[in-house]
Amino acid sequence: MRRVVVTGLGAITPLGNQPEQFFTNLMAGKSGVRRMQAEFVDQLDTKIAAWVDFDAIAHYGKHKASSLDRVSQFSLYAATQAIENAGLDMETIDKARMGIYLGTGMGGAASVEEGYIRLYRDNATRLKPFTVLMAMNNAAASAVGLEYKLAGPNLTFSTACSSSSIAIGEAYRQIRHGYADVMLAGGAEALLTFGTIKAWEALRTLAKEDEQDAGASCKPFAGDRSGLVLGEGAGIVVLEEMESALARGANIYAEITGFGSANDSSHITQPTADGQAYAMRAALSCAGLQPADIGYINAHGTATALNDPVETASIKQVFGERAMQTPVSSTKSMHGHLMGATAAVEFIACVLALKHQSIPPTMNLQVPDPQCDLDYVPNQGRTNVALTNVMSNSFAFGGTSGVLIASLFKQ
Amino acid sequence: MSTTFDTLKQIVIDKFDIEAAKILPEATLESLGLDSLDTFDMIFSAEETFNIKVPNSEVDIKTVEDVVNLIDRLVKEQAPAA
Repeated sequence: MRRVVVTGLGAITPLGNQPEQFFTNLMAGKSGVRRMQAEFVDQLDTKIAAWVDFDAIAHYGKHKASSLDRVSQFSLYAATQAIENAGLDMETIDKARMGIYLGTGMGGAASVEEGYIRLYRDNATRLKPFTVLMAMNNAAASAVGLEYKLAGPNLTFSTACSSSSIAIGEAYRQIRHGYADVMLAGGAEALLTFGTIKAWEALRTLAKEDEQDAGASCKPFAGDRSGLVLGEGAGIVVLEEMESALARGANIYAEITGFGSANDSSHITQPTADGQAYAMRAALSCAGLQPADIGYINAHGTATALNDPVETASIKQVFGERAMQTPVSSTKSMHGHLMGATAAVEFIACVLALKHQSIPPTMNLQVPDPQCDLDYVPNQGRTNVALTNVMSNSFAFGGTSGVLIASLFKQ
Repeated sequence: MSTTFDTLKQIVIDKFDIEAAKILPEATLESLGLDSLDTFDMIFSAEETFNIKVPNSEVDIKTVEDVVNLIDRLVKEQAPAA
């Protein structure tokens, strides 16, 4: 079986528009959760979100920016970073052996909503000709494929909160099984629109704003957790077949050694420990690793009432006695829940945790919950740790679980 | 009062970041770098600006002047009755 390594990282996040900056902010315990500034904020019960600072017109020019939904602006930005970071020579690379797999939950949500506003509120008689092309779920992947003239596989995965875990895992399999040599893989999401936020409000899963500090509103695994904070952004990694990466002298961040996906089929929103455990076991089995080999778990850790105790139980089910000694953190406490992009930025956090031998904290964990009793790396990151293998958990409404394992690269 | 040409020229400049000097009546849309999708996008803005509806049967246009003539004709034809 061919081996697959990570050679490039790209990220645009509520905690910085560059992967190392993102990781530095995670280690410092900074928060990307803030009051929204949108014109519709007064009509929201939940006025906080983890939004990205990005001036698309300054970056792409008016013409290009106006034909790309925000989600595609993000995917293109992160893909360009990842390609440059990997040092890929796009002039000479075999484009037929390079593809893109991207996850997104809502695709071009803002373009859909803009169209509805024109039609239903403003009674317009026509829509912008680009509406379909900006709104379609595969637009964000397509923008990257067009920009870099990729000729290999191009797929979009939409499995809600696990979308980009599945995208990275399936891209890993494409290389592993010989269908491609280089894959761009990750996710993008830009759903901070009025309609989308109202829909999430109706589900009663959004965090209450912390009265002292809006940035501390997302409290995974804490007794006073009140829900998730919606976020936006993109994370894209370059995956390469190991031999070709070595042959071109690429900088190798890590190797993907395991991927497991499974369906948690009991309920559309309520997770079960059995369903989550199945995906973790599948990833360990793929990697040929034991629970004791895992030095850090980046949890799904949404800070919803239901996820956190269930994820705690599923980790215990899989890790047994090792569970209490395995550091588990939810970086969503800082970057929020980027939905279709969240697994990708969390995977990037895992890769950089290996590189820096550092574990980012779970912030805002002051009040314990007796049902959540693992080592969540509370409020303070750890440096100078010895990490060889790390696990990234992603679960989702609808049931699709994705678990990725990254390992320090050894030839 | 600005002419149809001037208004259309401004639409093209705003939308596609094209140099003003290149936008001449005889210039083909192709020479300006506009593909069929861009042309639809330009027509969309013209429809909004001039308050007209361009039927699908009328989109066979090659030059900037063709667009100007089309707009002028449709404005006249579609003007609300006095």
